[in-house]
Amino acid sequence: MTFAPTRRGLLAATALAAPAIWGRDAVAQIRRGDELTVGIWGGAQERITRQYCVEPLERQHGVKINYVLGGTTERRARAYAERGRPSFDLLYLNIFESRQAVRDGVTLAPSANVPNFENLYPLARIGGYGVAFNPVTIVYDRRAVAAPMTSWKDFWRDDLKGKVIWPTYPGAQGTAGLLMAAKVWGGSETNIDPAFRKIAELKPFAAIQGSQDQLYGMFDQRVGAASVEFGSFTRTYAETRNPNIVIAEPEEGQAVAANYACITTGTRNQALAEAFVNLHLSPECQKAYAEQTYYSPTIKNITLPPDLAAKLIMGEDAVAKLIDFDWDLVIRNQGRWSSRFTREIAG
Amino acid sequence: MQDSRRAGLLALPYLLWLLAAFAAPLGAVALLSVQESSEMFAPLSLWPSAAQYEEILLDAFFQRLLLNTMLLGLAVAGVSALLAYPLALWLTRLSPRGKPFGFAIILVPLLTNVVVRSLGIILLLAPQGVVSNIAQALGFPPVNLLFGWFAVGVSLVQVFLPFMVLALYDVLEAQERRLEEAAAGLGAGPAMRFWRVTFPLSLPGLRGGLTLVFLMASTAYVSATLVGGRKVQVTGMVVLREGMEILNYPLASALAMLMLASSVLVTLVIARLIGLATPWLAARAPRRWPELPPAARRALVKVSEGLAPILYPVLLVAGIGILMFPLLLVAVASVNDSPQATVAQFVGFTWKWYGMVLENERYLSDAWTSLQLALACVAISLALALPAAFALVRGGFAGKEALGAFLMLPLALPGIAIGLGMLRLLQWFNQVPPFLGVLAVHVVLVTPFMLALLRASVAQLDRGLEEAAGGLGATPARVFRRVILPQLAPGIAVACVIGFLMSFGEVTVTAFLTTARLQTLPVRIYAEATFSLENTVNAISTIFILVTVALLVLVNRLMPLDRVWKR
Repeated sequence: MTFAPTRRGLLAATALAAPAIWGRDAVAQIRRGDELTVGIWGGAQERITRQYCVEPLERQHGVKINYVLGGTTERRARAYAERGRPSFDLLYLNIFESRQAVRDGVTLAPSANVPNFENLYPLARIGGYGVAFNPVTIVYDRRAVAAPMTSWKDFWRDDLKGKVIWPTYPGAQGTAGLLMAAKVWGGSETNIDPAFRKIAELKPFAAIQGSQDQLYGMFDQRVGAASVEFGSFTRTYAETRNPNIVIAEPEEGQAVAANYACITTGTRNQALAEAFVNLHLSPECQKAYAEQTYYSPTIKNITLPPDLAAKLIMGEDAVAKLIDFDWDLVIRNQGRWSSRFTREIAG
Repeated sequence: MQDSRRAGLLALPYLLWLLAAFAAPLGAVALLSVQESSEMFAPLSLWPSAAQYEEILLDAFFQRLLLNTMLLGLAVAGVSALLAYPLALWLTRLSPRGKPFGFAIILVPLLTNVVVRSLGIILLLAPQGVVSNIAQALGFPPVNLLFGWFAVGVSLVQVFLPFMVLALYDVLEAQERRLEEAAAGLGAGPAMRFWRVTFPLSLPGLRGGLTLVFLMASTAYVSATLVGGRKVQVTGMVVLREGMEILNYPLASALAMLMLASSVLVTLVIARLIGLATPWLAARAPRRWPELPPAARRALVKVSEGLAPILYPVLLVAGIGILMFPLLLVAVASVNDSPQATVAQFVGFTWKWYGMVLENERYLSDAWTSLQLALACVAISLALALPAAFALVRGGFAGKEALGAFLMLPLALPGIAIGLGMLRLLQWFNQVPPFLGVLAVHVVLVTPFMLALLRASVAQLDRGLEEAAGGLGATPARVFRRVILPQLAPGIAVACVIGFLMSFGEVTVTAFLTTARLQTLPVRIYAEATFSLENTVNAISTIFILVTVALLVLVNRLMPLDRVWKR
């Protein structure tokens, strides 16, 4: 234990100095017996990536790929706690966490070392390698509204009074709801007041939802009429359990949300991590995601059957229509907005 | 064990373990709470600042938050006690063959995933739900009980009721039946027999149960998040949000420390009140309370005796209902052919979720890891908690109550705060072999439970038997083996079952500690649920429940759940 700090210091110094001294070579080779540690969600995510990324790499290079399954929260907290001497080589984060992680020096910015980087949409090239677009939009029960919802302003319609299920903040859905409210009511990330004022006008809420599973339970029980949710999971829900649920395409656009593969700063397996990400960005893997989870591809070189493509965000125009925000600003204000939300909206 | 001062030393192993494995994360949280800067990467300052505490204590929102959380904890503990008495009495009266199944019913909520349980509460309390439909059938307007304190209370009672029942079970089971018979012979009806004989004698168990349930209910946050609809804010939830989502560790730590302090205070108050109500344990003269005039008393007795035969079955059925409800849900959902787990709609019948669990070696290998972990954890926890229980019951040293409260500390600190403290220590933690590291933490989390349960069992021991054995020449070791252990067996069995399930199901802290080499089953399930909840979760729960019933039958064979010689 007594010499441990020295050893850690040495390791960190090596990790920092390595790229400078040897360029890419030090970490650019995949050696047999290397082990890669990947932090990722469970369920379909694990199944698909094991099939399309883990198996080919293990077969081809004789490496071993270990998964640490968990939620984004624990993963991110750990990566921050281990900054510079990571136990993860690669971890998956959401859009707003990934950009902050790059700025905080926890993960690396993406680079063309990954061949499929070339095919990424610009939006998927910031804060890591975007592996899936999973935008957030309005979802509603067609039986409970007077007319289809086509705008984010429709939440404020009279026929929805008392029937709105608002998403909690922070969280992907709550963040989208807050920022879109700001946008359509004359505010922005820098001027959030209109959002809080207008959302408070929606009170009383039918409920406040904290996750998709909870929202679907609410829709099952007809607790409320409309909410803000991921289109992808909601489509699965609507198709298998509740055909009355509509995934709206509001005229102002859907709010971007996306998953990013982030290679940690200080990893000793950068080349292997990049090979992993490259396979995740392959058309085969992206197609599997589209088919099994309705995640939209982040690469341009992919064609999907028309009936599937119609349910996704496909093509330059559609991607350009996704609404992005200044996540720096959003993250910096998260604490303040969260306490405002708790007091003014949820309380 | 005769020397009451030396008996205090028996708490030493547990104390040392706490110092080794719990003092570090607690210290980290304490240190973080006195940081002035909320910046994530600000260097730790050793100069304490009260800035975070000031921010919390001067803010009406946080004041209300702490108060509401405490009140919720107390209410849940109170309601659990009310429902637990009929259940525990019922359990003691079951035939030896029926016992394992009775226990299985009690344990169902602990074997089902919290998300699934919460979806069940939604099904129960929603405007179109079961309760509302019954109310409408009876001519009342439809009610929406969901998304408020009531729903959170119900779901917390559901999870924590088993702890209360098991805390009461052993003391009720150990009770001298002749006392009740004597009371009946002297003309006391069932209500009076309960109130004047059974209840007072069960107070040591109630104390353990109240302490456990209060501490767990006041630090719980998942149920509040899922069924409170965010209208309900509890401290654990805010610690999670501030600490893990906004990465404001100092504020989250200060909140956790305040939580810890107030919980310890409440625990001490509970101990004091039970102490006042059980003067005979300390060989003190009972206090005289002012009494009602004889006429009023007679009326009261008459009313209670009239109510008791109705109240007992009603509470018993309500208790069993609330415990069994999740079983129905998971069993049905586990064969539901719907890609997202739901409890409200049955789409079609399928065995595929069982197939996915049983054919996937990852589930099995994670389950194996969890099993090893839980078994090792229970063995160590028992070795630490049993001597500590003797120390707390038989020790006659100053500061016994304070020591008792200190040993319960790991329960009073929200799990999420322990995780936060561990994060700060990860670089050291990573040097420890993963299994041992997680084991050490699990032991810290599980031992307080076992201690609370065993403490009541040890208090029930008949000292006369030990003295008789000693007088007949038995060595202390022999007395322990032949006299003490058989009397403690049911208590130990119950504590081990609870300890096993706690360790086997732990997620909150373990989720921060699992590595590529150590993955537990609950963390895998949790990781899947954070993406999208599939019915594999319910298949696993159903398998758990079946395995538990089998294990209980086995345990009952090896180590009877009641006192055999009393049958």
